[in-house]
Amino acid sequence: MSTLLTAAGVLAALLGGAYLVAVLDCLSRPGPRHVALAFTLPLSEALGLLRQEDLVPRGADGFLFRSAPLIALAAVALAALVIPLGPHAVGFDPTIGLFYFIVVLGPFVVAMMNAGWSQNSKEGLFGTFRAAAHLIAYEVPLGFAAIGPVMDAQSLSTVRIVEAQSSLWYGVWQPLGLLIYLAAMLMVSYRHPFDIPQGGSELEDGVFAEYAGSRLLLLRIALDALFIVMTAMAVVLFLGGWRGPLLPGPIWFLLKTALLASLMLWVTRYVPRLRQDQMLGLAWKVLLPATFVNLIWVGVISLLFAGGRG
Amino acid sequence: LRSPGKRAPLTGSAEATRAPRTSWLAKLGSMQRRYVAVDGGTGAHLLAALSGADVRLRAVASPRHADLLIVVEPISQSLAPALLEYARALPQPAQALIIDTAAWHPALQDGAIASDVLPGTPQVDARSAAQIIDIIQRLAPWPHLRTATEPAFTEATIALPNKQERELATELAVLSLGPIQSLTGGPLRLLLICDGEQVLQAQVEAGFARRGIAEAMVVTSWQEAARLAAALDPLAPVAGRLVYVQALEQLQQQPASAACRASRQAALAVERAGNHLWWLHRFLTFLAAPEPAARAWQAAASVEQLAGTVWQQPTAMWLAPQQAAPSAQSAAAAALQRLAGQVRSVRQRLTQQRFLEPRLRGVGVLSADVLRSAGVSGPLLQAAEHGAGDAWSRLQTRLLAAADDLEAAARVLSVAGSTVAHETNQPESDWQVPAGEADVAVTGPRGELGLHLVSDGGSGPTRVEWRRPSAAVLPLLPAALTGQKLVDAETLVASLDLAMAEADG
Repeated sequence: MSTLLTAAGVLAALLGGAYLVAVLDCLSRPGPRHVALAFTLPLSEALGLLRQEDLVPRGADGFLFRSAPLIALAAVALAALVIPLGPHAVGFDPTIGLFYFIVVLGPFVVAMMNAGWSQNSKEGLFGTFRAAAHLIAYEVPLGFAAIGPVMDAQSLSTVRIVEAQSSLWYGVWQPLGLLIYLAAMLMVSYRHPFDIPQGGSELEDGVFAEYAGSRLLLLRIALDALFIVMTAMAVVLFLGGWRGPLLPGPIWFLLKTALLASLMLWVTRYVPRLRQDQMLGLAWKVLLPATFVNLIWVGVISLLFAGGRG
Repeated sequence: LRSPGKRAPLTGSAEATRAPRTSWLAKLGSMQRRYVAVDGGTGAHLLAALSGADVRLRAVASPRHADLLIVVEPISQSLAPALLEYARALPQPAQALIIDTAAWHPALQDGAIASDVLPGTPQVDARSAAQIIDIIQRLAPWPHLRTATEPAFTEATIALPNKQERELATELAVLSLGPIQSLTGGPLRLLLICDGEQVLQAQVEAGFARRGIAEAMVVTSWQEAARLAAALDPLAPVAGRLVYVQALEQLQQQPASAACRASRQAALAVERAGNHLWWLHRFLTFLAAPEPAARAWQAAASVEQLAGTVWQQPTAMWLAPQQAAPSAQSAAAAALQRLAGQVRSVRQRLTQQRFLEPRLRGVGVLSADVLRSAGVSGPLLQAAEHGAGDAWSRLQTRLLAAADDLEAAARVLSVAGSTVAHETNQPESDWQVPAGEADVAVTGPRGELGLHLVSDGGSGPTRVEWRRPSAAVLPLLPAALTGQKLVDAETLVASLDLAMAEADG
């Protein structure tokens, strides 16, 4: 029974999170702000997509084509399980929580590649290979950036990592790690300016090109939910999770997540979409060396002040 | 980016699957419209204006994601199959709208046939994005999108280059961009033979926006031919009309007064600036830089709005042989000066922010020698002569030119304000043309627009030859695209500001 409740809760949280991202996206769009419209337009778009037919292109690999949105959503839902909203409000708290989180994100790339490969079009094919290059590029800096908090908290459990930040957030004394994580996070969630596989103006939406109607909606929800889940993990790792004065833990957690998400959306609208080679160069030549600097910094500080901040 | 015949037929059904409902749920569902646009060659500025005008109207890249198809007439016979295929890709229920820009003329051989391809689609006159948005909000009942069974498309084939013997032999992929794509102002088809992301070979197919302006001009009267000349480049009607009027004046051997010439140059300069800024918006939208693109939109929309109100009569009325320019609005000079400042600040921001530069520097370099020998002029040549000739230098050159043009126009107006206003008795336009030959050129937004006009003293032109700036760039494309990365190839094409209606004639 509690498993079912957890599953329903996670799905509801993902839907809410995706809605939040869509609203924030609408609000951070340049031009005049339409606050009321920003809240209704995502709903309108979802309804509009639900009313349209789901096309499967002729010559498409039907199984892969239909399964891609489901795999995408499943990967995000599994990852969302280990994010603690409060000290006891966590779906699943294994001792290897963070490791589990990074591993179950892998299949999301599979979903993107299935989507692109199965649709039997050139745009999708190019998008597929771009998505594959993404995985290898983001995984390494993301993992190394997330090791910083683990080194100090001496645990992979997400709940333990938040509890270890009771005196000082990791984001304060590991700012480099936070920055690396945020950049890698945009890559993981295929967010602008790293939306290269589904780049609208270049590849006619690449891996999403042939999706229509409710399957497209499902893919969009998965993508937006992935972004909010990654943001939530940034709050867990670097911004003290649910910790904060006065307000109850979950409220603090949601506030921090929403603020960080808006900040990311607001900053990225100044940047044009990166080229594939620029994105790979950034991941391998800038982020990866930077993670080593960060690791040395975190190691030295943790040794000097062992247990001092825990 | 979809092409007819390059892929398997799509399964989108042409018949409506459900009857339209009017419940509140359906109303909420149709509040946000997702549209794709098909531009027959005349609508680039209109569609650019539309793309940032209203949050309830969102442009999407794939027709599969759209529920609204906007078609800007005229659609040529050769573009019709592509339009049909594109329309069939929309999932049902979807709707369509045909927009008439009145850039079509009965003397043209080819043209308004979108309503044959999409039977039952509402056809509206619209000159501005605001009008289109208004129509979309009110249009009811709006029938579902239907597509004709004719014309059927034929499978296009392409000869692949021989596979070289390599240790790692890879399959080549043919990526067909267009003819409906957003990189150029109008339809153009690019067939890119790619080895991975590398373009090995490129083919360019033009002619989808051809209307036969020069041929139509020789069968009409002198006065009607002026309308056709303005339609040559629908994105720059002043340039086309002005070069024609100057040719007539050369034939009549009665040059216009200095004040009139200055006013004409000012009108031309404002048009050039407007073109550069709309191009900037389209280019930044292609690069997916939302914030700079919104700034460019703002500047372009202001220039367009101002251009319509600088003179007390529309430009088409007073751009005629022997006719003096009407007086300008008193506040126009100051407004133009302000806009020039706004454009300069956009340029400064783009340079200072340093986000765009790494994306564009060194991309799509065209050397000055190559451009000059192909007869290319205008901003493309200037960018190669004074800058590196890459996409970044083109952006800088166009922005600088737009600011300079606006300032020049402001100077003319502030001087002319005192002199032209007193010129009350406007002489009638003189459409009597003696026999002879004239050869003139004006500087349009994309370079020198030249006209060779022959008259035998009759009621209309006998021979018309245009020198079209965009047409000169097209032959350079296959060589320029070869060896580029796919995305750089697209950036190169987008940075050239090709007006396909003008290029195809």
